[in-house]
Amino acid sequence: MTQANNSFKMPRVIRENLVILVLMVLVFLLMWALNGNAFISAGNLSSMAYQVPILGLLSLGMMVAMLSGGINLSIIATANFNGIMIAVLIRAMAGDDMMSAPGTVIALALLGAMVCTLLTGVINGLFISLLKIPDILVTLGTMSIIGGLNVALTGGYTISDFPQAVLALGNSTVLGIPSALLIFIFGAAVASYFLNRTCFGHQLYMMGSNPQATRYSNVSLVKVTVQQYLLSSFFSVLTSLVMIGQLNSVKADYAASYLLVSILAGFLGNVNPFGGFGKVAGTVIAVIILQFISSGLNLMGVDSFLITAMWGLIILVVVIAKGELPRIKKMLGLNGKA
Amino acid sequence: MLTKIVKSREFFLAVFIIIFAALITSVNPNFLTLENIADLLKSYTVLGIFALGVLLVLLSGGFDLSFTAIAQVAQYTVVYFFVEYEVDNVFFAIIATMVIGSLLGFVNGFVIYYYRITAIIVTIATNSIYIGFLYVVTGGDLLYDIPESFSFLSDTKIFPMLNESGAEVGICVGTGFWFLLCIALHLFIKHTVLGRSILGIGGNQLSAKRAGFNIRRTTIFIYTFVGALAGFASLIQCAVFQSVVPNSMVGHEMDVIAAVVLGGAAVTGGRGNVLGTFLGVLLFAVLSNGLTLMKISPFYYQIFTGAVILLSVSVNALQELHRRHSQIRVQVREDK
Repeated sequence: MTQANNSFKMPRVIRENLVILVLMVLVFLLMWALNGNAFISAGNLSSMAYQVPILGLLSLGMMVAMLSGGINLSIIATANFNGIMIAVLIRAMAGDDMMSAPGTVIALALLGAMVCTLLTGVINGLFISLLKIPDILVTLGTMSIIGGLNVALTGGYTISDFPQAVLALGNSTVLGIPSALLIFIFGAAVASYFLNRTCFGHQLYMMGSNPQATRYSNVSLVKVTVQQYLLSSFFSVLTSLVMIGQLNSVKADYAASYLLVSILAGFLGNVNPFGGFGKVAGTVIAVIILQFISSGLNLMGVDSFLITAMWGLIILVVVIAKGELPRIKKMLGLNGKA
Repeated sequence: MLTKIVKSREFFLAVFIIIFAALITSVNPNFLTLENIADLLKSYTVLGIFALGVLLVLLSGGFDLSFTAIAQVAQYTVVYFFVEYEVDNVFFAIIATMVIGSLLGFVNGFVIYYYRITAIIVTIATNSIYIGFLYVVTGGDLLYDIPESFSFLSDTKIFPMLNESGAEVGICVGTGFWFLLCIALHLFIKHTVLGRSILGIGGNQLSAKRAGFNIRRTTIFIYTFVGALAGFASLIQCAVFQSVVPNSMVGHEMDVIAAVVLGGAAVTGGRGNVLGTFLGVLLFAVLSNGLTLMKISPFYYQIFTGAVILLSVSVNALQELHRRHSQIRVQVREDK
């Protein structure tokens, strides 16, 4: 490589995600072209800024689970669980009138709910690592149990009228920026820190690419898996804060359709479904792409079910494109390092 | 021999079912009547047939989350066109649903084999594609006008008997088909090359390949077959409920998978059998019927289901850990 080439070296984040960054720009331009200036109106941009965090936080939680080649099916049930626990704890401590609950009660409730939710992560992690049960089955079981608990705790009804302080966490603006977006940025920073800068992060990537070798390197797989699911459920906590703020209510089955989309976001963001590879930046970009698509299609008045079908089609297109890319490159004589 | 049977999963399940059935009968003597049993079997026939398909996928080490969506599409299409063109022939309908189902299933198998991508992701994708387009095309309308001949599957009894009030009771034809399929699938897995190759690629894909099994044919066959079974089951579902609701089955994939796993199948492939799956479905049927008869709030069903899943996979896992300690493992590695 020549000196000139080196001096033009792009930052790592951009280099690694070049394809999806280009895709993001293309999708943005496409949606802009299809919708005209309505797409970049302040209204649409701010509605996207409000919608992106829920999907984004769930996708980050899912990505953490996918790094070991697994899937965390319980992530949405735990997010709802966290919200319901907040409501249940506030009611238990301050009576049925949640609106007038004192600050200490609210703080205690938030903390208590977070502890409960993180505990579900620990349970997931222990089952997966100690008994060596495939993660999809463990999280299927806990999804069922937690989902059932949610229904039992709420009686199937919606709980609303949260105190202002809780709502403000997910639905206010700081210097003009929606707090939900700030929570998302905070979440992405936390994920990035833990995955790239800590010993746990390195061990998690190692475990994802070769669990046996990792174990022989004197790394406790139990510890890493528990930490992994702790981190994953932490994103459920953040998601639930944003959801409460935006919906002013909790219910047993909110956001159930996001399960698929969060897996899709991880997959689109180059997280290897077999484990070991995947970066926060890729997932975040993928989430933004998906948000552009859904907002754009919404503006065009497209049926929401068609958007669901679209998610599926996008996965298939990405799968096929990834498979065909080497063949196309070969055909065009572009068989360089890719 | 005897200790092997006593230690087996199927024995464990059967004992559990008998104990539970005895408990329920002591609370509510109506449980052990032919009428109740036949009704119970009828309402679990659809899940039972789905479970056979899922068993095959799990045996091969794959996964399928799209079979409910396939069933919905096949069901809706067939009922819609049969009513539209006034075709009223249940056997023709069976063939039609199975053809549609196998076409949609083929897509799964094709993509999974040729692009070597995890089956979970592909089938999640096709699930949302099928259901999404079904809603877009139909607008989510319900169909109540089911061709009359379809009730052959749900109302005609194989060995009709009269109860004291003079009504016919007995196992319905749909349930009969389920039993037949169980036997057929058991023979298929045990005694055909294709059946053995499914177990083979579930145990170790590379070894199976080196042993000369045709991985492509097997993979594509499995997903096509699951589609066909799902199509067939969907026809029984609409005969039983006498309506077509576009979201009546979708979202219940996990219940089916749970029943199969309860029956001893491993999601990692290579382990499981038809008898276990059948008993797994039966246990779910008895449990839910029992919970209803014992007047436990439906809010707790889901918790119960989850607990049963976790418990049974834990038992599986402990057995597996125990087994692993007592055997030498042969590793076949992918050569680059």
